[in-house]
Amino acid sequence: MIGTENTAVAEALVKEYRRGAETVRALDGVSFEIRHGEMLAIVGPSGAGKSTLLHLLGCMDTPTSGQLTINGRSTSGLADRELTRMRRELVGFVFQHFALLPTLTVAENVALPGLFARRRAQKHADELLERVGLSHRRTHRPHELSGGEMQRVAIARALINSPKLLLADEPTGNLDTASGESILSLFRALNSEGLTVVLVTHNEALAKATNRIITLSDGKLVSDLRRSE
Amino acid sequence: MNPWLSMSIRNAIRRKLRTIVTAAGVAIGTAALCSLIAFERSYQAGIQGELDRLGAQILVAPKGCPYDAASMALHGASWPCYLKQDYLARVKASAGVASAAPVLMNAVYDENSGAQWVYQGVDPEILALKRGWRIKGALPAANDECLLGATSATRLKLNIGDKFPLPGLQAGQTGTVCGVLNTTGDADDTFIFTSIGRAQAIFKRPRQLTHILVRLKDPNMLDNVVADLRGCDAGMDMNVVPLAHVFHTIQDLINSTRILLGCVALIAMLAAGAGVSNAVLMAVSERTSEIGMMRAVGASKTDVFLLIWLETMSLCVLGAAIGIAVSASTAPALERWLRSRLPISPESAFVHLDAAAALLCLALAAVLGTVACLLPAIRAVKLSPVEALRTGANSG
Ligand SMILES: Nc1ncnc2c1ncn2[C@@H]1O[C@H](COP(=O)(O)OP(=O)(O)OP(=O)(O)O)[C@@H](O)[C@H]1O
Ligand SMILES: [Mg+2]
Repeated sequence: MIGTENTAVAEALVKEYRRGAETVRALDGVSFEIRHGEMLAIVGPSGAGKSTLLHLLGCMDTPTSGQLTINGRSTSGLADRELTRMRRELVGFVFQHFALLPTLTVAENVALPGLFARRRAQKHADELLERVGLSHRRTHRPHELSGGEMQRVAIARALINSPKLLLADEPTGNLDTASGESILSLFRALNSEGLTVVLVTHNEALAKATNRIITLSDGKLVSDLRRSE
Repeated sequence: MNPWLSMSIRNAIRRKLRTIVTAAGVAIGTAALCSLIAFERSYQAGIQGELDRLGAQILVAPKGCPYDAASMALHGASWPCYLKQDYLARVKASAGVASAAPVLMNAVYDENSGAQWVYQGVDPEILALKRGWRIKGALPAANDECLLGATSATRLKLNIGDKFPLPGLQAGQTGTVCGVLNTTGDADDTFIFTSIGRAQAIFKRPRQLTHILVRLKDPNMLDNVVADLRGCDAGMDMNVVPLAHVFHTIQDLINSTRILLGCVALIAMLAAGAGVSNAVLMAVSERTSEIGMMRAVGASKTDVFLLIWLETMSLCVLGAAIGIAVSASTAPALERWLRSRLPISPESAFVHLDAAAALLCLALAAVLGTVACLLPAIRAVKLSPVEALRTGANSG
């Protein structure tokens, strides 16, 4: 039962970067599984490899060695075209700096991944804006919004292609406490509807709100705690 | 609007000043190219058309520059030298000559109207050459009869049968309109035709001609007839000009102008291309994080390429449209300038921009844009999404 219910399986993941002559090992043999419908946080000191792991989970890069399987499909050795397709179909990504396009309206920003998927997405974009409570902002430009509003737009954008996995790299890193809390409750609501959510965070409150915390240090997995209820 | 196009256009106009400068470069390049094409097409057609309407394959003129002679015969002028009328018989005698029409031409200045009038003494043989002529009335036969070109008749407000003082000549010289020529579209429209004898009398050139227009029985006999006429006794005093060769030689003569225009257009286009490439490169490096984000949310390499290509295209098409408009509006000025410098130019407009030439320029600007976007687009496509996001985060 458990084996088929995994969204992601990582086995002895290694990711190395070359920096000039030396090789940096950003991930050093990380293994874990993420089940469908889980909400988990990845924590650890700066440089621990959290973003690197999230990028691998998001099919933005492939591991140097080890296996990573997303939704039953191994990413190792995949060509760019295949990785792009997996990103488009399986993953929603939320960035610390929101990364909205300043020339597009809020609604157009939300619909953008639909454009790349060659899908008519404007109607769904309106529904998602309703969902994150920003319908009244649909024709505004990103610079007219507050940080919290921008992040909610970014979350709506991440959901437009109905992903299996929502990934967020320090989603509250640029937000005040109140906005951060509203983002957190949005993630929790999405998770309670069955979406798998992985957050990288330094924010303890955010981490504690999840059912599971993975701690990385120096590229190694040092603890994997599930909240036992 | 198509969302891809709308997104690319909005990106293209993000940096207003840079866009204006870059598009201006493309506009200058396109304007130069457009003018060159307009000139190439209509100048050749104009000269060829005039030579065709002249109806002669050979022009026999007094000694001197053959291009001046051709230009004077085509457009009307006072000639510095004259031919003996006796040569006409010798020209007619040459095997292969179908018809030879003698002409005595002179241009005069009319102080009353400030206009120039060109008189041509002709004989009926002219009809064998000017196959396109349609005359209301008759050719001048009696001494005071005149045939008017269409424009001349309008300017002088004359009809068949009217008696009038010959413009630009001493008082007392009068003519009677015996015929009016239908519009021909070339210099004939502005001439006044008399009989040869009358013209010789008016201009005090008894038994003299300015030129003879020769039509051949068979165009292939051109070289034989030219050789025969050059070799005869009168050949010493005659300039035997094969007009088909003149056309090619004119093309050679104006080659330096064409090459000059071509170089200007080429350099302007290359500079514009470099400008476009540079502007798009800057845009790509400024927007690295945006490109990374788009890749992260599912844009393929092709999508990134397409967006950058469309962005470059909007720049180039905007610039080209401005350039074509500039070229169209400066065509008359360019034509005036070229007219004062070219050895021979047609009466009709010869820097004429038509829709086909404009479309060709637009297409060339699109090719330029495509080439110019290759470097930045490839650079953008090569960005790995992770790398692009990392760069973006650092720069805020
Ligand atoms: N493209 C790269 N080239 C070279 N080294 C890299 C690259 N990406 C990451 N690294 C290195 O890998 C290690 C892990 O980086 P990563 O960004 O995953 O850390 P992190 O846990 O997200 O840190 P932070 O909390 O500061 O965001 C760091 O030492 C980093 O310098
Ligand atoms: Mg990080």
